[in-house]
Amino acid sequence: MSYIAVIAAIFPSIESNPQLDNLIASYPDVLKSLFGIAKGGSITSGAGYLDVELFSFMLPLLVLVLAIGSGARTFAGEEDAGRLELVLAYPVRRRSAVLAKGLAVAGEVLAVCAATGLALLALDPVFGLDLSPGHIASATASLVALGLLSGWLALGVGAATASRALAIGVPAGFAAAAYLVNGLHDLASWLDPFRFLSPFWLVGSSPLQNGADKSGVLVVLLAALAILVAGSLLVERRDLETP
Amino acid sequence: MPESSAIETVGLSKTYGKSVRALVDLDLRVERGEIFGYLGPNGAGKSTTIRLLLDLIHPTSGRASLFGLDTRGQGVASRRLVGYLPGDLRLSDRLTGREQLDSLARLRGLRDSHHRDELCERFGVVLDRPIRQLSKGNRQKLGLVQAFMHRPDLVVLDEPTSGLDPFLQGEVRTLLRENADEGRTVFLSSHSLDEVQHVADRVAVIRSGRLVDVGEVETLRERSLRHVTATFAEPVDPSSFGSLEGVRVTSVEGPRVHLSAPETAMDALVKELARHQIVDLVSQPADLEEIFLELYREGGDGR
Repeated sequence: MSYIAVIAAIFPSIESNPQLDNLIASYPDVLKSLFGIAKGGSITSGAGYLDVELFSFMLPLLVLVLAIGSGARTFAGEEDAGRLELVLAYPVRRRSAVLAKGLAVAGEVLAVCAATGLALLALDPVFGLDLSPGHIASATASLVALGLLSGWLALGVGAATASRALAIGVPAGFAAAAYLVNGLHDLASWLDPFRFLSPFWLVGSSPLQNGADKSGVLVVLLAALAILVAGSLLVERRDLETP
Repeated sequence: MPESSAIETVGLSKTYGKSVRALVDLDLRVERGEIFGYLGPNGAGKSTTIRLLLDLIHPTSGRASLFGLDTRGQGVASRRLVGYLPGDLRLSDRLTGREQLDSLARLRGLRDSHHRDELCERFGVVLDRPIRQLSKGNRQKLGLVQAFMHRPDLVVLDEPTSGLDPFLQGEVRTLLRENADEGRTVFLSSHSLDEVQHVADRVAVIRSGRLVDVGEVETLRERSLRHVTATFAEPVDPSSFGSLEGVRVTSVEGPRVHLSAPETAMDALVKELARHQIVDLVSQPADLEEIFLELYREGGDGR
């Protein structure tokens, strides 16, 4: 949150510096594409500035790290530590345990994303960012969707395989690949067909300027839910690891 | 139709990978109200059996039921009747004992904490410190309380007295006996004959994943060997010892005689030894491995 405040606090000095837009316009397309600088977007508007500084990389990264850590810890990590042995010997269905843990992960993701959205709402008048509340809401929603997808992927992979390394590695690797596909598909035509697989592409970039892609957010949320359910079914089929 | 047994397994087997046969064709029946000892060296398949009964792992073949409820198909219903103390107990280090017990009770939907409080008082459980600060013995006490707190029809205990002092070990035995007297069943796994023999009604011996023998504790106790070393004031003729039932003279070094004898022969042996002037007498229980070897030799048919 303090990171968001610091970034927002710098904005007034950016705003008074119109040459920056010219500088950025002279950047090569590859850089603009990777930094999430929208075509025709402006870095000297509040929304454009925060899209680049926060929503193109930093915030998704923070939310993903938190979500993946939480998803991997809560099942594969607990199993690794031998703590599921006792709990699953109780009259508890394994799939209910996975779903309950999914709810806990969702709680963490929602809390962080909501705090982000509220921070932006609060900072908006202070630094004259001139943001649209509707766009803040949809930007927050896209963060939630990305967070749930990676967190539930970590939880689901952990539940299905009992491996904490996979529970971290699979969603982290997927996120990295998906991020690159989203950043580069405009420039590398062979990547273009894969853009549909990138949740970053699906939710849309520059959400504070353009709003998030609502149907894309929905698709990502549904995929996240499907992964969680798959994990909860697969966990029933395997042996619990010996602590 | 007869009342179903507390535990019944039919051809229960577990193979890891292609070749590691952790449990082979286990046919076992534990009746209601008995204390059943499950004895074997480390790695014999005791924990594998228990984890199969609780559906933590799935059998390669065969089946098991608790009170007639299939452990696979009716796992939740069957586990509702069970209290379990794992051999390697891992609790949530950051919680206090009280928080841990509260959370486990909630998982069972257990509202009445009366019996739990009684048990905590009885074992002197430390409730208000984080679990990470507790000694092994104090964690084990928490494990015992959670296994008994809902008055389960079947308690499954994997090496329950590890880390407990002798006084508490006695207290655990008393608790087991009380449970059995109330008609509840106890399944007690251990690698130590001493832990089991004073409390169990029947004992199964398992080795390398196979059931070696099931019988009354008395029977096993008869085979429970002691190593006896007697040092006499002067060399004696040991032949009169060797002629006692079950006693063997293993070696003689001057005035010192080494013997092996079952517990049941100790009285006769000591009386025989006492006919000579004794300087020193040492008796040690043979370790379980030796007793198992003995069992194999004496017609354990390796089912």
